[in-house]
Parts: sequence; C-alpha cells; structure tokens
Amino acid sequence: MTRVTRFEDRVMPHLDAAYNLARWLTRNDDDAQDVVQEAFVRAFRFFDSLRDANARPWVLAIVRNAAYSWMEKNRPAEIVPIDDAGLIDADQESIGHAAPAESNPEVILLQSANRKLVNQSLEELPVALREVLVMRELEDLSYKEIAEIADIPIGTVMSRLSRGRAMLRATIETRMRKAG
Amino acid sequence: MTLRTPTPEEPFIARDATYHKAPEALRVRVQSAVAREGRARVVHVGRRTLAWGLAFATVAAVSWNLGAMRGRDAAQDIVTHDVLSAHLRSVMTTGRLVDVPSTDRHEVKPWFAGRVDFAPAVPDLAARGFILVGGRLDVVDGRTVAAVTYRYRLHVVNVFERPAKDGDQPPQSMSRQGYNIVHWSRDGIERWAVSDLAAGELAAIAE
Repeated sequence: MTRVTRFEDRVMPHLDAAYNLARWLTRNDDDAQDVVQEAFVRAFRFFDSLRDANARPWVLAIVRNAAYSWMEKNRPAEIVPIDDAGLIDADQESIGHAAPAESNPEVILLQSANRKLVNQSLEELPVALREVLVMRELEDLSYKEIAEIADIPIGTVMSRLSRGRAMLRATIETRMRKAG
Repeated sequence: MTLRTPTPEEPFIARDATYHKAPEALRVRVQSAVAREGRARVVHVGRRTLAWGLAFATVAAVSWNLGAMRGRDAAQDIVTHDVLSAHLRSVMTTGRLVDVPSTDRHEVKPWFAGRVDFAPAVPDLAARGFILVGGRLDVVDGRTVAAVTYRYRLHVVNVFERPAKDGDQPPQSMSRQGYNIVHWSRDGIERWAVSDLAAGELAAIAE
C-alpha cells in the first residue's frame, strides 16, 4: 500500500468534518476550501506522526491550525482573546439559574428558532467559543479530543462550551425579540 | 442556587445549525493535491537516498572501473557506467529529473520529436506499477539518448533509449554499485532501465 493510498484510507474519510470545522471558522465556502486543501497537504507531509492514533482529532487539529493561520493573515480582528479565568463563576451562576428544560419558556423559544437564526447567531459568536460548540455539538467530539485539538485544558473546554451556549441563547433571544 | 457541573446539552445547535459537508469539487481538489505531493515526495526521498548512495558509489566506481575495464566487455561496461551516471545525475540534480513532466505518454512521446533522431517507445506501464513521470534528454556513450522516467512506489526508474546497433537482445539484469540495471533491445530500440528497485521488480519493466 502506498503512502497516498494509506492516507486516503485513514484521513480522507474525515474530509466532511474538516470542511465543516473550516467553514464554521472562516464563515466562507471558498476560504474553507483553501484552508482544507492546505491542511490536507500538510497532513500528508506529517502523516508519519499520526502512527496508530485516531485520525479525526489529528487532522482536525491541523485544519484548525491552518484556519487560524488564514485568519491571522486575512481577518486578524476576528481572533479575540478569551478571558477564561473569569468565566467559571459566571457560567455556573447562569447554569444554576436555569429551570428544568421541559417547563422552561426559554427552551420553547429556542425550539422555535429557525435554522437561519441559529446559524447567524452561531456565526456571530467569538471564534474561541464558536469552535468548541461546533466540535462538541456538530462533530460530537469528546471534551478530551476538543482539548487536544484546541490545545486548551479540559476545564477550559467545558467553561467555553457553557459560556458559548449561554451567549448563543442570549443572541437568539435578542434577535427573536427584535423580529417579533 | 445549586451549582452543577457543565453541561446539560440543549440539542438545538446540533438540530438547527448547518453541518457543512465537503463539496465534491473539494474532494477532487484535495485528492489531486495529495497525489501531487506524493509524487514530489517520491523524487525527494529518491534523491536523499541516492545522495547517500553516491558517497559509496564514488569510492566503488574507482575500484569497479579498474577491474572491469580490462575485460572483454569493457566497451559495454563503459556504456553501462554512463547509464548509471546519468541515472544518478538525474535523481541528484534538483528540478532536473524530467524536462517534460507528464503522466500522459501522448504528451511525453511527441516532446522527443525533433530532439532525438528516433521515436522512443514511451510505453504505458501503469498496469505493472510503473507510473510515468515524464521525459528528458541525457547523454550516454557520447550521444544524446531519450530518458523516460517512471516511479515504482517510492523508487525512481529511468529508462534510457537509443536506436539499436544490433538486433533484438533478451533482457539481461546486472547490478552496479547497489543499483539494478536491465538491458534489452527490441523493435530497433536499445534500452536500459536503472533503479534502486529490487532486481526482480525492475525486471518486470522489460517484459
């Protein structure tokens, strides 16, 4: 089996996941395609470093790096540093106030939110929160995998997830109130 | 206020947010970019291996020349030596493996028209695992020959062609300085295939 066919066997099945992540990071079809192509060529060069590890988080980490390089060059303003230190208290507070899901009007409100509203609101989130939400909810990656891909501690993954969810809910509600 | 560990997962993101699947065009783009990178790597690895090989080769060539040149086949040995030197040159000189890079024999074959005074065969050997890389001109035994380059897995294979002086000759395998060479003449063309590929695998090119 040649290196190319081994790469096609192990890495190419994750092209959808790669594109989905790149698309949510760059928020643009063409840029996402460029990022993915560059990332996969890079992945092929460093294919030996994969060894027996799971190819999906491995290649997604490369895609994420390529996307961030692209953003640094083309849209530096979008890379907003996140203050993780002050997050946990605020998150726990907001979770603590949440009522049970079934009777929560907020959930009913969210359920009626259409795809467009969710997509737009998710795109507006700071990239550091957006990416953990995409990896967790759309790619179904574990906290540990997300921590490895984004190169942050697992605790930070969890706090960014809840902060991201809260912020997303707030954005959707604001938009719905404006619309309604 | 009860503190809970994150996170009760509201399903609305997974349900409502778009999962962007890779467009088919991207799949094609990525596959060809990787294949291109794979070919570049073949040449690169080949060069690196051969760079080390040449350190030994230079030493070996001296003793080999002293011994073999006295024999009855001295003339043939000089040609063989030229062929091997041409092969080593091609894989060591950056950017000069081929002058006409193409996997399509219908591009490589016409390129030789007007450059050599015969029509090289440039056979399609993909079915046997030899993937065409391209063609270039080289010099063997004081005259211009056609060099057709293939890759076989990670190995570079050069096939040197010139008009045959004698009739058909069956394939003959030989080994020089760790490289394998197959020599044969057919249909008026004399050929040498040279590579660091194993002798048994290289022999398939002359079938």
